[in-house]
Amino acid sequence: MKITVSVNIGGSSFNIDEDAYSELKRYLKNLEIHFADEESASEILADIESRISELFRQKLTTFKQVITIDDVNEVTAILGSPEDISDNKGPSAGDKFSVPGAHRMYRDTDHRVIGGVCAGMGAYWNIEPWIIRIIIVALTMTGGLGILIYLILYIVLPEAKTTAQKIEMKGDPVNIHNIKESVKKEFDAVRKNMKL
Amino acid sequence: MDLENTKAQMRKGILEYCILSVLSRNSCYSSDIIKELKEARLIVVEGTLYPLLTRQKNSGLLSYRWEESPQGPPRKYYELTKSGRNYLKELDKSWKELVESVNLIRKR
Repeated sequence: MKITVSVNIGGSSFNIDEDAYSELKRYLKNLEIHFADEESASEILADIESRISELFRQKLTTFKQVITIDDVNEVTAILGSPEDISDNKGPSAGDKFSVPGAHRMYRDTDHRVIGGVCAGMGAYWNIEPWIIRIIIVALTMTGGLGILIYLILYIVLPEAKTTAQKIEMKGDPVNIHNIKESVKKEFDAVRKNMKL
Repeated sequence: MDLENTKAQMRKGILEYCILSVLSRNSCYSSDIIKELKEARLIVVEGTLYPLLTRQKNSGLLSYRWEESPQGPPRKYYELTKSGRNYLKELDKSWKELVESVNLIRKR
């Protein structure tokens, strides 16, 4: 017996085994990182997703209604790993991520209480977000300045969405190794959530 | 010199040329293009095609329209634009010249 997840891939719905789901998610995330600096990244990813969906549909029959890890491995092999796909980058493939010292403030919505502003500041200065939250609350109660600051920062700060942004937020140099670490952490977290 | 890199560079230009060639006959759904390129052994992994198609579309060589499919969601059909046709004509010419030049050199 296995737990299955229902996912929407390229506009079609599939039942997919839990392990197959994590593998597919990892693959798509890697592609996303790979195409991050491409102008039409989302379009390329959408095209690839609809191809995945088409290949999955060919795998299903009346007797086989769930996508397994083998199916995912087969399909990702057909489409190719991000390294295989990068035909044009040549030997400098890894360089584009190396922007050492990039350190920007973002909203950290992974650790948010309201909008991730305090969590983002905490990550930026490497201090406990609760300290910032207490300061903001204190400033709010003594004249309302805190809520104004919060609102402005909420509007001004972008959300840290991509892995590269999450690394920039903490100020680590962004390189392939860091991204891999961070992605791995994220999957472990997802895996843990699923098992609960 | 890196052999794999040299090969990849050679293949890349030719691949772009061949995508346009495939599309010059008919408008095509991306999986049809993949099938032809695979049969011709020009691509190994399918993922290579999608960034190329998007780049060619962005530079105005291709356009696409959505079409209903007999099974599953609608499909993207690509076709050459007018500037794509001119571009292809130039590439046809330059391919012919290249083949002639290479043959000339190799026969000596």
